[in-house]
Amino acid sequence: MDNILEVKNLKVSFRTQAGTLKAVRDISFNLERGKTLAIVGESGSGKSVTAKAMLGILAGNTIIEGGEILYDGQDLLKISEDDFHHIRGDKIAMIFQDPLSSLNPIVKIGKQITEATLLKNKSNRREAKAEMKRLMNALKSSVIASGKYDAAKVNEMFATFHKFCMESNRLENEFNIAFTSTADLRADAEDTVFKLGKDQKLDVKALLREYESKLKRINKSILTRDFHKEIDALLTQLHTAEKSYQDTKEGKAAVSEVLEKLEEVMRRVENQTKPDFFSWGYYKLYCQNADMNQEVETLNAVSGKYLKENFMDQFVEMAQSGVAYSYNTARKNKEAVLPKLAEARKFFAVDFDKAAAKKLCGELSDAVDASIDHLEYLKDSAAYTFRSAMTNAINRYFYFLTNNPKEEARFERQSKKREAMIARGKNVTWKVVPKVVYAPEELRGNILAIIDRLDQRYQEALAQDVDIADRTDKLIAHFKEEGSLAVHRITKTMAKEMAVKLMEEVGIHEPRLRYNQYPFEFSGGMRQRIVIAIALAANPDILICDEPTTALDVTIQAQILELINKLKKERNLSIVFITHDLGVVANMADNIAVMYAGKIVEYGTAEDIFYDPRHPYTWALLSSMPDLDTKEKLDAIPGTPPNMIYPPQGDAFAARNKYAMQIDFEECPPFFKISDTHQAATWLLHPDAPKVEVPKTITERIARMNAKRTGGASHA
Amino acid sequence: MPNRNDEPLLRVEHLCQYFGSTKAVDDVSFDIKKGEVFGLVGESGCGKTTTGRSIIKIYNITSGNIYFEGQRIGAGTLSYRNAMEEAKKNTKAEIGALQADSAANAGHKADNDAKIAEAKKKLAACLAENKKAIAAAKYDQKHSDKEYAAKMAAKVTAEYEEKLKHVSGEEADKLRKKYKHDLNVAKHTKLITQIQMIFQDPVASLDPRMTVKEIIAEGLVIQGVKDQEYIDNKVYEMLELVGLVREHAGRYPHEFSGGQRQRIGIARAIVMNPELLIADEPVSALDVSIQAQVINLLNELRERLGLTILFIAHDLSVVKYFSNRIGVMYYGKMVELAETDELFAHPMHPYTRSLLSAIPLPDPYSERERTRIIYNALKDHDYSVEQPTLREVCPGHFVYCSDSEERKYKEEFGL
Repeated sequence: MDNILEVKNLKVSFRTQAGTLKAVRDISFNLERGKTLAIVGESGSGKSVTAKAMLGILAGNTIIEGGEILYDGQDLLKISEDDFHHIRGDKIAMIFQDPLSSLNPIVKIGKQITEATLLKNKSNRREAKAEMKRLMNALKSSVIASGKYDAAKVNEMFATFHKFCMESNRLENEFNIAFTSTADLRADAEDTVFKLGKDQKLDVKALLREYESKLKRINKSILTRDFHKEIDALLTQLHTAEKSYQDTKEGKAAVSEVLEKLEEVMRRVENQTKPDFFSWGYYKLYCQNADMNQEVETLNAVSGKYLKENFMDQFVEMAQSGVAYSYNTARKNKEAVLPKLAEARKFFAVDFDKAAAKKLCGELSDAVDASIDHLEYLKDSAAYTFRSAMTNAINRYFYFLTNNPKEEARFERQSKKREAMIARGKNVTWKVVPKVVYAPEELRGNILAIIDRLDQRYQEALAQDVDIADRTDKLIAHFKEEGSLAVHRITKTMAKEMAVKLMEEVGIHEPRLRYNQYPFEFSGGMRQRIVIAIALAANPDILICDEPTTALDVTIQAQILELINKLKKERNLSIVFITHDLGVVANMADNIAVMYAGKIVEYGTAEDIFYDPRHPYTWALLSSMPDLDTKEKLDAIPGTPPNMIYPPQGDAFAARNKYAMQIDFEECPPFFKISDTHQAATWLLHPDAPKVEVPKTITERIARMNAKRTGGASHA
Repeated sequence: MPNRNDEPLLRVEHLCQYFGSTKAVDDVSFDIKKGEVFGLVGESGCGKTTTGRSIIKIYNITSGNIYFEGQRIGAGTLSYRNAMEEAKKNTKAEIGALQADSAANAGHKADNDAKIAEAKKKLAACLAENKKAIAAAKYDQKHSDKEYAAKMAAKVTAEYEEKLKHVSGEEADKLRKKYKHDLNVAKHTKLITQIQMIFQDPVASLDPRMTVKEIIAEGLVIQGVKDQEYIDNKVYEMLELVGLVREHAGRYPHEFSGGQRQRIGIARAIVMNPELLIADEPVSALDVSIQAQVINLLNELRERLGLTILFIAHDLSVVKYFSNRIGVMYYGKMVELAETDELFAHPMHPYTRSLLSAIPLPDPYSERERTRIIYNALKDHDYSVEQPTLREVCPGHFVYCSDSEERKYKEEFGL
């Protein structure tokens, strides 16, 4: 289980003049790292509200009635606006449906795209440095606490590690920058050769000059350490070609030849063996008679061996003992917490006293804090947020305990006044403000839910076997990663290059020209691409896409979806994809949550939803869209979604559902489990329910899809 | 009429619509037969909406002709002006050459003078002809409605005069009253009301300050209908036809959901009893479930009222479901045009193929394996030698291609 974001029992409503509109009614889901979760539903089903809650951008009249959104050891519903600044756009980015609302009309789009990259880069370096320092210190102190090593020796080892790790990352950074420019230069040269072949108008001299200067820059880096001679030769060739260029067929052919040569060399540069920078750094700094001018492969082998023998083996062993120590301590503390949790559960189940509750909460939170293993790579959000969640829930309980009677009285008073005024025949224009009252049982239930969740989490954690060696390896890999982030400096030119590349990737033609234009100069589709480019420029952990392609046409939609999928793979991005179009989702989603009237009605993997849908609403959604083989009349869903100020008592979809039974109008169906990954909230899955046939359109389509898959390999 | 189906209701010939140097629509020709749904697809900015708007005369077209029910309703002048320029240039060059010849050889002078006179005469004839064409185009562009109204009025007059001969007394008065009403309507009838449009954005296309009744009845009022009862009945009838109820007539657009607003838009269009409906992305802005409702409604209306529809959209699944024939546009050009099934079975133009390969399907397994074909106009065609034109590769299937490409496509599909 590798959940990057967890939403638990989220309830959101809006205060409106007509009453409290219940937009989201108790939904829970998990977003797995590197996976896409699609939330599908009609407008007004609460999907956008859920997304906005994740980003902390709900409107002013919002009431968050309960629940948690856990991310990186924090509850996003409770953190302050200042803290949210570090997360919004940076860790969690969002692509909005309406591109105009997310662009600044008076700033050139180039600046808008690079702004995030440049700002983020600075804070990234700072954060990566801090994170590395924090983790290293934690590891160091737990190694020392384990008592196996001398403190001075440990300090020295860690200092060494830090120093050469940074040096290697610096080398690698330099290598990577040059590598990008090489790829660019090759692509440009290829393009020019093609254009020359097609006899297009070109300023060949300027192009050659540009290539020359680019090549010179590349030649200074570590990337071309084995290619200096060849590149020098190329440079002279380019120079003579530029000086002697004539605008004739022969002249063009000569230039093409030189460029092809350039392309070939660049290709070889790109395909060279990648240096093992991690060991190079150590070798360069600590080996007395280091010879850095050897062949890449030999140097890799030599330095790798040197590092392993002189440092790494020892360091890994040391780190392992630290990880083991930290884990064991945390485990012991976790075991100690469990009985306390059980006790607290009893205490909070009935009415309780304020002072006692605060005291118990404090003690419990201390115990939980002690049981957190700080060397864990993925933070256990339930434990990290325990203190704040508990304090908050308890405060809420006491607040409403005193406020409920007041609120009731106020409501009664106002209603009476209004009635009296109407009785006197006055024209009453104002409405009674709806009352906000919570039952104590419900509030106590919230507290118990927090305790139960932690209890469950700890039981699971204790039941698991942990591979200390594996954990250590992951931790060291994490150090390296953070180190590389800490030295990864981005200049303005680089940011521009990246932005231009990104713009090209999202399908904006002539990006260099567009770079200096304003948002109003673009069409709707183009604006949406710019917004996507901006969201991606910050390289977030989680990307929330709120109907990003609804306004775009098929080809662009396909391009954008491909782009998002590609980035997901490359950057291990986790995506929340909100849409009403199931066709789009099939390509994107790993998991799908179908939402209706503020609740999730069906949840499962993409295969579950498309090949084995169970909820009548999912059926309706699937059969209401035509595919390429549809000929018959479409099954439109009759009616409109219910008014959420007065949510229906039973299953919200019952009124539009031709399979509705009596119980659907009376009681809300619970989730019925179909498989480990698949569940649906419909009474049709109850063992006593009558058998219902899935609509013909869907069964036929599934049969067609199966036939295509098994029989028609040629189709693809 | 037996042959009615073959007779095109709308014929677009070499339509060009330029905005400054931007060629939004460039030499597009197609026709729509009576009773069919013609789908127009392409990416945003390819000119499909502009084509629709040019037909309904929101823009004055740059060049080309648009015929509706055999009458020219739109005509551009650029092609004639270009022809004149060309003729002037050619004649000037010819005369110049002849004069040079005369200067060199005095013997040829008489002969050459005759030739020059003839060239001048030819030029004058050419100019006159084109000027006439321009005048005709301008006249049609401006007065096609007037002519149509006159024709309608004449028809009504003839009808009632005939009827009035046979009646007298009170009955005649009644008939005269009706005659006046009908004549008034006929005089205000415009040919262009036979073409109606549904817009993409149901929010932006309805006036927020008008009630639904006013919105739907506006066309009738402009047409000169003054009978309030007739208008009311007509509005209620339309509301029921599109699946709304009478009570909705007094409300304002903001009180409706997106799907209902689109229904109001449709009611406003069909109240004029049009022959041709231009539906410009009518479902793109709607939820999937509402989309199905609107598509079903359009399908029903088409069967009931015998509408002809020009369906502009980018969602190919919907277009395939809905249309009889499809035209694919790319950067202002029509690149392929065929019957729906034929187009999907044998997509010939690389752009069409790329478009078809981009359709998302509700099938996760095949989706994961789907590879999109990428279209690059520069690399896929070599038009440096042969110029491409729109040509009929097989019956009813038109492709924009050059000679060698035509051979290639035919070979590929074994035609």
